[in-house]
Amino acid sequence: MSNGYHIVVCAGIVPDPLQTLEPVTGPQGPALRNEMMLPAVLDPWAAHALYEAAHLARNAPGSKVWLVSLSPKAKLQQVMMTIAQKVPFELVALDGPASGFTDAGETAVALARAIQAIPGLDRSRLLVFGGWESASRGAGATLQMVGEILGITDQFQGVDALEIQSDGSFRILERIEGGVHQVSACAGPPAVLGWATGTLPEPPNQPQIGMQNMRAIMPALQGAQPAGLAGGKIEFLEVRIPSVRRETQVIKDLSPEEIAKEIVEWIKE
Amino acid sequence: MPEPDRQQMDVDIACVGFGPAAGGFLITLARRLADRDGPALASRMAPGMPLQVVCYERADDMGFGVSGVATRARAIRESFPGLDVSEIPLAAEISEERILYLLDPYGASRRPLLMRFADRLIRAFPRLFRCDRDAIELPFTPEFLHKAGGLVLSIGQFNSWVGQQVMMTGAAQIWPGSPVAEPLIEEGRVAGVRLIDQGVDRKGNPAGGYLPGMDIRSALTVIGDGPAGPVGRKLDEVFGMPEGHRRDEWAVGMKFVVQLPEGVDLKPGTVFHTIGYPEPEIFGFFYVHPGRLASVGIFVPSWFENPARTAYRYLQHYIQHPYLWRYLKGGTLRSWGAKSIQESGRRGEPYLAGDGYARIGEGSGSTNVLTGSGVDEAWATGVLLAEAVVDLLEKGEPFTRENLERAYVGRRRRSWLEQESRVAEKARDGFHRGVIAGFIGMGLTGLSGGRLAVPGRPKPPRKRFPRVEEFFADRIPRGEIEKIRQECAAQAKPLHDALMERCGWPKIEYDGKLLVSHQDALLMGGKVQAPAGVADHVVFLYPKLCESCGTRICVEMCSGEAIHPGEDGVPAFDREKCVHCGACFWNCPEENIRFEAGPGGLHSAEN
Amino acid sequence: MEKILLLLGVDAEGKLSKAGLEAVEQARRLACSLPGASWAVGLVGRDAQDAARQVANCGAGKFLAVTGDAFASPRYASDAAAAEALARRSEATLILAPADSRWMRALPGAAHRLGAAVDTHIAAVEVADGAVQVRRWYYRQRIEAQQTRRSRPWVLLMDAGNIEPWAGEAGETALEALPAEVAESWDRTKVVGVEAPETDEQTIRPDAGLLFVAGAGWTKKQPDGLSHLEEAAELILDFVRKTKCSLGSSKSLVELSSEGQAVLPFLTHLHQVGQTGSTPRHPKGLATCCHGEEPHVVGWRFIKERRAVNLDPNCGWAQGKADVLYVADAFAVMREVNRLLG
Ligand SMILES: Cc1cc2nc3c(=O)[nH]c(=O)nc-3n(C[C@H](O)[C@H](O)[C@H](O)COP(=O)(O)OP(=O)(O)OC[C@H]3O[C@@H](n4cnc5c(N)ncnc54)[C@H](O)[C@@H]3O)c2cc1C
Ligand SMILES: Cc1cc2nc3c(=O)[nH]c(=O)nc-3n(C[C@H](O)[C@H](O)[C@H](O)COP(=O)(O)OP(=O)(O)OC[C@H]3O[C@@H](n4cnc5c(N)ncnc54)[C@H](O)[C@@H]3O)c2cc1C
Ligand code: SF4
Ligand code: SF4
Repeated sequence: MSNGYHIVVCAGIVPDPLQTLEPVTGPQGPALRNEMMLPAVLDPWAAHALYEAAHLARNAPGSKVWLVSLSPKAKLQQVMMTIAQKVPFELVALDGPASGFTDAGETAVALARAIQAIPGLDRSRLLVFGGWESASRGAGATLQMVGEILGITDQFQGVDALEIQSDGSFRILERIEGGVHQVSACAGPPAVLGWATGTLPEPPNQPQIGMQNMRAIMPALQGAQPAGLAGGKIEFLEVRIPSVRRETQVIKDLSPEEIAKEIVEWIKE
Repeated sequence: MPEPDRQQMDVDIACVGFGPAAGGFLITLARRLADRDGPALASRMAPGMPLQVVCYERADDMGFGVSGVATRARAIRESFPGLDVSEIPLAAEISEERILYLLDPYGASRRPLLMRFADRLIRAFPRLFRCDRDAIELPFTPEFLHKAGGLVLSIGQFNSWVGQQVMMTGAAQIWPGSPVAEPLIEEGRVAGVRLIDQGVDRKGNPAGGYLPGMDIRSALTVIGDGPAGPVGRKLDEVFGMPEGHRRDEWAVGMKFVVQLPEGVDLKPGTVFHTIGYPEPEIFGFFYVHPGRLASVGIFVPSWFENPARTAYRYLQHYIQHPYLWRYLKGGTLRSWGAKSIQESGRRGEPYLAGDGYARIGEGSGSTNVLTGSGVDEAWATGVLLAEAVVDLLEKGEPFTRENLERAYVGRRRRSWLEQESRVAEKARDGFHRGVIAGFIGMGLTGLSGGRLAVPGRPKPPRKRFPRVEEFFADRIPRGEIEKIRQECAAQAKPLHDALMERCGWPKIEYDGKLLVSHQDALLMGGKVQAPAGVADHVVFLYPKLCESCGTRICVEMCSGEAIHPGEDGVPAFDREKCVHCGACFWNCPEENIRFEAGPGGLHSAEN
Repeated sequence: MEKILLLLGVDAEGKLSKAGLEAVEQARRLACSLPGASWAVGLVGRDAQDAARQVANCGAGKFLAVTGDAFASPRYASDAAAAEALARRSEATLILAPADSRWMRALPGAAHRLGAAVDTHIAAVEVADGAVQVRRWYYRQRIEAQQTRRSRPWVLLMDAGNIEPWAGEAGETALEALPAEVAESWDRTKVVGVEAPETDEQTIRPDAGLLFVAGAGWTKKQPDGLSHLEEAAELILDFVRKTKCSLGSSKSLVELSSEGQAVLPFLTHLHQVGQTGSTPRHPKGLATCCHGEEPHVVGWRFIKERRAVNLDPNCGWAQGKADVLYVADAFAVMREVNRLLG
């Protein structure tokens, strides 16, 4: 590809993984207790998508990466302060809830609109990336709808690898049942790819990339428009934390032989 | 190793660390820059750009710090006139203050004779002393201990809130997850900072994805890296300390944030300060936030001689003191953390400015040891520096030692901060003679406005802590200590739990919610994490010294159980558990631990 | 009155998957509990005759199919088009499908074409007061919700392992084939095949009765001051072979392995269980040398009986996360377990 790709990465933010989560019911339906106080990170699988996007862009001169995020502005700003140091991108921010309890369809409409509004975006070079599932809603449905709205019918989910062939076509590995990958050949952009872990490690922090990104990020945040989700599409009847605690029997005084015997018996039960 | 190919970036002002000091500095500076009439101040380092101001913070987010905080908030309020306290999550106006003397319900603490006598008296006449659940409220508390009109804050939420305001001005950038390795010192001038190497193994050798730490060259470097920051310490090493100044008094503060049980309706802003328990040398606090949350914690100071000095175990006993437990029982652990405090105060003040650099915050000796407050003081130093910097920038004067001395140090000397820190200077000296002398000294100093003090000299680290056998000589027979040593060694465990239990401290009955193992506090409370690809930031300098170390204090005191017994008596360090409290380096009697900057640690924004 | 359409993919051998048969049972129950509801099965694949016979007696009123070479392999464009055609033909108000990779890929987009709402990873479908309610998880299995929607059509993708598969007799049934309009543009994507990760043998077995999780402790220095990687690898693989269990791992161990340190070469990201890994379903799970931290254990949500072997009596498993924690050296225990298994 001579003039590179236009890669749009859709990524929300989610609470940092070790935080304690507790649902509460507010006027707009369910939410997390102290959601605005919990430290947040870029949705992990979507973060992988971002790193893959940057990697692809680096190897295809002329490419450009946008990060489209529908999240509360103030929290998104905080997340940007770490993520902006990782790879170069331009932020498109939509101010709205990052909660898992919003409807995937509504979110998709807002994201697609934001993508359509990106100046200079070339559909023939377009790759829409994202995580195959969020760590909040966990639906794995949003990207497909974004793709539909944009009229893209080459779509892949649970992607672990995207290899560019010499003719510019793609070889794509998607996770399917049984711990194996489905291999597809795709003619090239436009396409939608929902990433799983991918193959790249988290990039190191690079201050100069951060400085550069931030110049455009702050105005993007300041100018972020409300995403305009109407809400109310889903009626929640109950939202709760499952009772996770089991009565753990801690067995300290058995020899390995005795333990082994118990385990084998248990397996065979 | 040949010097690797380092990238370099030029900025005007580089700030190390984002605590309250940097918060005060950046918000003042950024607002002045953003609100200026006329053209923006131009960058000298990056021509064509506006002034470039960046702040590098070690922790993975702006809100991962640890502190109390009850503060008078004079300087903070001045920065935010008409502040609506409810804008800051977990903040409340101080509504009630009590200073409590806690008795020891188990008789396990080491109380001096006089204290034991007093305890007996109180127990004999509980009504007379208004003794309530093994505590008496000090009937007369000196003014200096009060923080009336002040605020209870969560440092995590406060810092995040300030950080957002700073970023929104667009005039400064804050970068968390960016530890500064060291200052760049060139011919007696600080020329910027170097960030840590990434893509290296635990020993710092290049590994996959090696990226040498970048050099950030700056016209002014602002060091606000707190009490134990390696950049400040490096400057002290190179430039020395002013005559008569030293930093040999420390404490480690450790705290829980607890969701109080249903039905406990303490007013937000309620503040208890405690003395007397779990050991007479250990001060404690209990602050109530909105939303039925409380911060409860203790300070374990360097003059507390117990070599089996485990803050975590003491904190568990502290929260179970009957006076506090009636509120805390049935509560849930929300957060946990630990951090060092520089207790030398003004006596630990380094050179505040030099060519190309200035120092602010606790690392600049701002913390008031008499009133036990550092947040507002640190904030004030930042504000003063920002005012000085704007002055110099507007006049087009360079950041030389002379200019900074005049503009910044001069301002500082004329401030309330200086006056109060002078009052506090000798307040704690008495503790080096004993607990009672310490309390008397604090009282004297406070009441006399600093004119009187009980003299005392801090012991150098090597003399600070006796061996376990000596310290426990009156409690545990030698033979038994030897047995405890062997048992603990076999299980690769520190000694403190066994020693304390032998001295009468009850076993901790875990409830899985608030009383949890140290490891669980790391996970459920601190949410401690460590990224890969960086060098270990805690290093044992001379393993040989450890082999013959009689105390292994590092293992006993480590706030995160990150230092544990290793092979041949040399402790091992496990980065995944470290909370970067920095207490290991000043606790080691041999000064055998190098504590540097690394990313990771606490991931809780509620401390 | 609800009109239910159950979408099923037909595999290369013309069969339905276990998850598919579970969905059949789910659709059958749902139709029974909704008064006046009708239901149809919609099959997609190269050829649907065998599959239709397989479920002929399930109670569906109609069997529709979109078939042909273009629909042989799971692919977004063709599957979404097929789903759209079937939904339009059946005028479905409720569109059910197993949440397998095929329908997870294609149905949300098809739902958009149909103006439908979509919910995925549904753990249970119930009817209360005449209304359809679903149960699903949020925040990586940490929060559970019971929810419903008023709007129709409504697409429901159901997770496997929540209900017994339909197991009725095969039979004969009339299969209505919809005309398939194959678009040329679909050929932009061609499914080439299936690739197993580069390991000697298949160690992920979704249908196994036991999940065996290996944690980073297998690579750590043991009390003798050394790490024993070779033995660890042997013990783990030996156990997996002998029990035909499914192998899972913690993130730490996977990352050690993928950092090129060749720690345990048979582990890949696909083995990772937890918040950023998988959430497998097995009746039993055994964790070894794994600390049982929250981001890992959320991946155990659907493991019913849990046991762990760890040297640390205070590890996460002890905190109400396992039924039994054996405080012991996993090397010693697994050596003996393997010996007993013969
Ligand atoms: C448990 C506890 C309770 C306390 N209670 C109170 C109280 O009630 N009232 C009160 O007023 N004060 C209290 N204090 C003291 C108060 O927290 C400190 O005085 C105050 O935080 C000092 O602010 P600072 O900005 O100077 O430093 P810090 O808050 O320490 O901030 C320094 C920052 O620099 C970062 N840093 C360090 N090294 C580097 C590096 N090399 N590169 C990049 N970043 C680096 C650190 O991560 C940190 O975020 C308490 C302290 C503790 C520990
Ligand atoms: C964004 C994010 C997402 C994450 N997602 C996941 C995820 O999806 N899945 C996941 O697993 N983790 C995840 N984690 C990481 C998680 O927090 C833990 O770090 C990880 O699960 C720890 O793995 P471990 O228990 O194998 O290793 P360790 O914590 O190193 O534990 C090793 C254990 O082995 C024990 N041990 C050592 N030797 C022996 C022996 N001989 N016999 C018995 N026991 C022994 C030790 O006692 C210890 O408990 C995530 C973290 C983050 C930040
Ligand atoms: S680091 Fe210090 S305290 Fe720890 S063992 Fe070595 S010499 Fe002793
Ligand atoms: S190793 Fe880490 S947690 Fe332990 S004392 Fe040192 S800095 Fe604190």
